[in-house]
Amino acid sequence: MEKIAQPSQVRRWPGEIPVRHRYTPGVAGEVFFTALRDRAVLLGSRCEECAYTYVPARLFCERCFGELAADTEVGPGGTLVSFTIGFVGIEGEALDLPVTLGLVRLHGADAVLLHHVLDVGDRPLEIGEPVEVVLRPEGERTGSILDIEGFRPTAGG
Amino acid sequence: MGRRVAVIGAGMTRFVRRAQETGKELAWEASKAALDSCELQLADVDVVCLTSAPDAFDGVHMKGEYLSDGAGAYGKPFMRTYVGGGSGVFTAIQGWYSVASGMFDVALLVAEEKMSSTQPHPQGAFLTIFDNILERPLGPNLLWIFALEMNRYMNAYGLDKRDIAAVAVKNKRNAADHPAALLGQADITIEDVLASETLAWPVQRLDVSPISDGAVALVIASEDAARRLTDRPVWIEGVGWNLDTAYWTNRDLVFPEYVQNAARMAYEMAGVTEPRKQIHVAEPYDPFDYKELHHLEGLMLFDRGKAPEAARDGVLNRDGDLPSSPSGGLLGVGNPIAAAGLMKVAELFWQLRGEAGARQVPGTPERGVAQAWGDLMQVGTVVVLGVDGTTVNGSTVGDAPTTLPVVQTPPLTAAGHPLSDDAFRSAVGAIEHAVDARYSWDAGAAISRFLDGLRGGAIFGRSCRQCERILVPPRMFCERCFRSTDAWVQVESTGVVQTFSICHVRWDMEPLEVPELPAVIAIDGSDGGFLHMLGEVEPDDVRIEMAVEAVWKPVSERVGSILDIAYFRPRRSA
Repeated sequence: MEKIAQPSQVRRWPGEIPVRHRYTPGVAGEVFFTALRDRAVLLGSRCEECAYTYVPARLFCERCFGELAADTEVGPGGTLVSFTIGFVGIEGEALDLPVTLGLVRLHGADAVLLHHVLDVGDRPLEIGEPVEVVLRPEGERTGSILDIEGFRPTAGG
Repeated sequence: MGRRVAVIGAGMTRFVRRAQETGKELAWEASKAALDSCELQLADVDVVCLTSAPDAFDGVHMKGEYLSDGAGAYGKPFMRTYVGGGSGVFTAIQGWYSVASGMFDVALLVAEEKMSSTQPHPQGAFLTIFDNILERPLGPNLLWIFALEMNRYMNAYGLDKRDIAAVAVKNKRNAADHPAALLGQADITIEDVLASETLAWPVQRLDVSPISDGAVALVIASEDAARRLTDRPVWIEGVGWNLDTAYWTNRDLVFPEYVQNAARMAYEMAGVTEPRKQIHVAEPYDPFDYKELHHLEGLMLFDRGKAPEAARDGVLNRDGDLPSSPSGGLLGVGNPIAAAGLMKVAELFWQLRGEAGARQVPGTPERGVAQAWGDLMQVGTVVVLGVDGTTVNGSTVGDAPTTLPVVQTPPLTAAGHPLSDDAFRSAVGAIEHAVDARYSWDAGAAISRFLDGLRGGAIFGRSCRQCERILVPPRMFCERCFRSTDAWVQVESTGVVQTFSICHVRWDMEPLEVPELPAVIAIDGSDGGFLHMLGEVEPDDVRIEMAVEAVWKPVSERVGSILDIAYFRPRRSA
């Protein structure tokens, strides 16, 4: 190895990979997002064989490989399975307001959903406490995971 | 050589320009079809082998994990392998050693690709396969590699472009009989190919396979399990894989030695001593029409330079002496990269079982070879399949197959739903994102000195005393002798054009106003060379073997970059 003592002598070449991606939601995803936008419901897929309900809806069961349909409405209530409070952004910068993210098992579902926890206030959250889904009003929903504003705790104040 | 392993089931989605399905959904549709074809459940699968080409296509980091549920990997031993375009056939090799080793009895092999996600063009994902410091500043286009190789191949044997175009015609016609094909065309002619847009001469639009989405899956099993599960096992008789140098400009662009090495390995294992007699059907890798011919020669099915006349004379047609790409290949069925390779293995499975329907080659083919190629265009992957009744090492194996009803495979209801451009743009729930990652590539020890040399107006190489080569571009180690190189050597600023292209498009396929002249230049006084551009010459006047010299930028403009050489021009001084 030839050692370079001066970091400025290291020859570097800048660049990037000039691609962007368009992600389409697929067969089951289109049904899920259309129902969320137009009917304000969260659709899951029930696999009777495995006694398991996925959310968002899926085309297939990963456990038994059976075909599934978007056949089960879940929520709007649910249970907080876990949460975290983020104080820094992806570049490590301090956030003006901390962000609370929760994993929630909606009523009628086995899979959990990740989203913001709203209106947390000063009261400490508790794993296991009840929450409910808050959706954006009709007309503001575009068919996006952000049509869900987040989960709001329903117990206490 | 381990336990015998057989293919017992296969399935695939339709190959489409854009699929409505997500990558996971495509993987599931192909996997489910493969399991259904041999009446197995996911619970019967012991191990899952997955392949998919660069993460940048789907725009999903760690695509193996992302695709795992659709590939049936939940709760199972699982691994994604990846050797670029060679991946699809390599997955069959991965599956073979998983089962031959005795570790597993039944393996599900899955290959998926969703190239339609990448904007503006999937080529953007390929740009970093070029050397970021020595090649990317030249503004390369993936087509360059193929055009440069094709030109050199044609030049070496004085080939007629018509004979190469015959492969595109054959494969697109064959694909017209494939229910999953994207570009089947029963009435295409050589004139159509020769009249198509020139992209990077000699490569024209119809010489190239299309960007595609799709998935393919196979089920393979140990001999005991295979005999229990089917009365028509198709044995994996031989596997082989091999690599050429990573310095693609230093490679023999006329003959794919790495394919020959891989084929020798697979043939030896299969007991194939006379491939031209013992191989009845071939599925060589055909992302470009000339590549099928290149690979048929590497597979030792034709003498060097002789495959094109076989294409011209119909030898490669479905009813010819050596049917080649009876599926329709990548040129006709489509090229969702990793999936396309496994599609070739699936086609052999259907052909050898007599289940290929309208694509069935006549007679009773008993042995076939599938091959793919990739990484930085230097990996060869080869699989030999055969059915009982064929001879292995001189003795007949098993009973001759009984006559069975012809089944149309894959089923006409193959999944893989095309998404129109409008639907792609307007799909509910669709999201667009850029990978906001920037890089700063270190030149490293050898290339830093090389770039310093360029700034001073000189080209330097490194010598290896053991193999007596002078390496350009220089490296601190010799990849052949695997020892440190010995000394810096100044070589000439002159060279010889090994091959060139006249390129009319950018990497994103937007037209160029003035065509570019990329060339591979062997540098005088060295055993290597590199990619650069030609200037001060009319495109029509460029010739392979032309002597050229570097035209340096003014000293004040040199910064220690490959662009300190403005270009190479025809040599003026003797």
